[in-house]
Amino acid sequence: MNLRLENISVGYGGTPVISHINLSVGAGRICALMGRNGSGKTTLLRCINGLLPFSEGRVTILGQDIKKLGRDKIAKMISVVPQVSFSPFSFSCLDMVLMAGAARIKAWSAPSKKEKQKAMDAMGETGINHMAGRPFNTLSGGERQLVMLARGLFQDTPIMLLDEPNSHLDFANQHKIMALMQRLARKRKMTVLVTLHDPNLTHYYCDDVILIHEGGVRAMGETGATLTNEVLSCVLGDNIECDMTKRGVFVVIPKQIPVNMNIR
Amino acid sequence: MKKTWVIVGLVFPVILFICLCTGRYPIQPGHVAGLLLAPLGFENRFFVAPSDMMMIFWNVRVPRIILSIFVGAGISTAGAVFQALFRNPLAAPDILGVTAGSGFGAALAIMFLAPLAVVIQTSAFTFGITAVTLAYILASLSRDSSPSVLVISGIVISAIFQAGLSFIMYIANPYDQLAQIVFWTMGSFNTASWVKVRGTLPLLLPGILMIMIFSWRLNIMTQGEEDAESMGIHVVRWRIFYVLVSTLMVACSVSVVGNVAWIGLIVPHIARYLAGSEHRRLIPMTAILGGIFLMIMDTVARSVMLSEIPISIVTSMFGAPFLGYLVVSAGKARF
Repeated sequence: MNLRLENISVGYGGTPVISHINLSVGAGRICALMGRNGSGKTTLLRCINGLLPFSEGRVTILGQDIKKLGRDKIAKMISVVPQVSFSPFSFSCLDMVLMAGAARIKAWSAPSKKEKQKAMDAMGETGINHMAGRPFNTLSGGERQLVMLARGLFQDTPIMLLDEPNSHLDFANQHKIMALMQRLARKRKMTVLVTLHDPNLTHYYCDDVILIHEGGVRAMGETGATLTNEVLSCVLGDNIECDMTKRGVFVVIPKQIPVNMNIR
Repeated sequence: MKKTWVIVGLVFPVILFICLCTGRYPIQPGHVAGLLLAPLGFENRFFVAPSDMMMIFWNVRVPRIILSIFVGAGISTAGAVFQALFRNPLAAPDILGVTAGSGFGAALAIMFLAPLAVVIQTSAFTFGITAVTLAYILASLSRDSSPSVLVISGIVISAIFQAGLSFIMYIANPYDQLAQIVFWTMGSFNTASWVKVRGTLPLLLPGILMIMIFSWRLNIMTQGEEDAESMGIHVVRWRIFYVLVSTLMVACSVSVVGNVAWIGLIVPHIARYLAGSEHRRLIPMTAILGGIFLMIMDTVARSVMLSEIPISIVTSMFGAPFLGYLVVSAGKARF
């Protein structure tokens, strides 16, 4: 297992958001992390990445305890595609991608020709190498997300964490990003952990799913078997129904429209 | 992009030459060439410099120009670094209190210690560094390690030292001490000498070089703190490194020539228009432009009026409208 969490409890200022979680994700698989707003998905990602000290338990990446690794070592194993991407200064897309080489590039040095070629290859994989010279801040949300994804790929790590990669994307781009992630996870034998809200995207593109509810894992396993009506309505709310379209495609839709306005 | 560098590279020696000619005691361009060659043993058959011209040129004007170039380069580079660290194009190198601390230190020396240059400089430098250290300690007491906490701590410490400075000014003798303190807070190169050049260059030159060598990492420091961490940078440690080098440069400059307003903020902006935001290119451009800019400003300060104009008045008067012009006229914003 590339990534393993044992008995993890973590929170802010003494109040645990998540308690006693155990989970593991294998190589070449894309795993969705689902749960309501504030259920602790992002907290869990930060904890896996070693950014949030946890009071209890153990995180191991490729068999090594995360607490014993320095930032540069972690960066060679885990890349993160952040949720909101904004740069206070105007960098070109290539410069943005190249930043992820920091763990490999000496502090007093700058990216070599070889690294630049590698960054261009990563941008090629997400289909944006024609944008290399364009200012990052002038791009649309979807294009920026592709640049951040290329940055993650350029970091060239066995594990990749994505925090709601779809939050700023239109319908077509959501599917494009997910399909790309699925293909890359297989091709590069990467472990991909992605936080998602849409159960349909989870069902179509993810091999495994972990559902977090009330500070613990409510259900975990292969997507097809795990995403049942019962589990989904427990985690996402009562107003959920699983159905099949005429073509035989699995869909999760609200049971009642308009929904009850009791927003949680 | 290459063209910009060539132009800047050509502009620098031209401006340097013009500044060498200009002053309260103007020297003809031909004579400047002769004066420059004289110490190298090239005796000029057509022009033998009179000894007073030789003295003014080599003991007053040359060290003053060298000092203004390096102070300009140092403060501007520090400004670019602070803008990157605080992810804010409006950050200035005095944001953590170095200028306020130095001002207080200088006033304290003028008022209560000996009003000797060495004492004032030492006191200004010590208090400048102390102010930033205090801001750092105050920020580290917070659980939040983000740069905004550091900025607030800087404001708090600045305010305290500013109050101290105001108090000293309030009780100072208005006929000598107060005038000296006021003149210090507005800065001037009028006391430039080889001794001051020798006192500042050993800090400024390695400082600027150090920032240039470690400039690529500044790109990553401009990204969100957690993003930078997940790309493998130990943000807190690197921030201390950059702040330390920049603060030493600013404290050493300010303690020798007094406060120099605006250039730490404006020069990185001009450099960004010319070289882009990528710090590998931005930092050298900032250093060169800072040198050119302050050299011109100081030449204005020492030439246009019978008496010296404090340098901060000139830098603000020219610098601020120039920034306004850049912002309005730029087709596409570079920041």
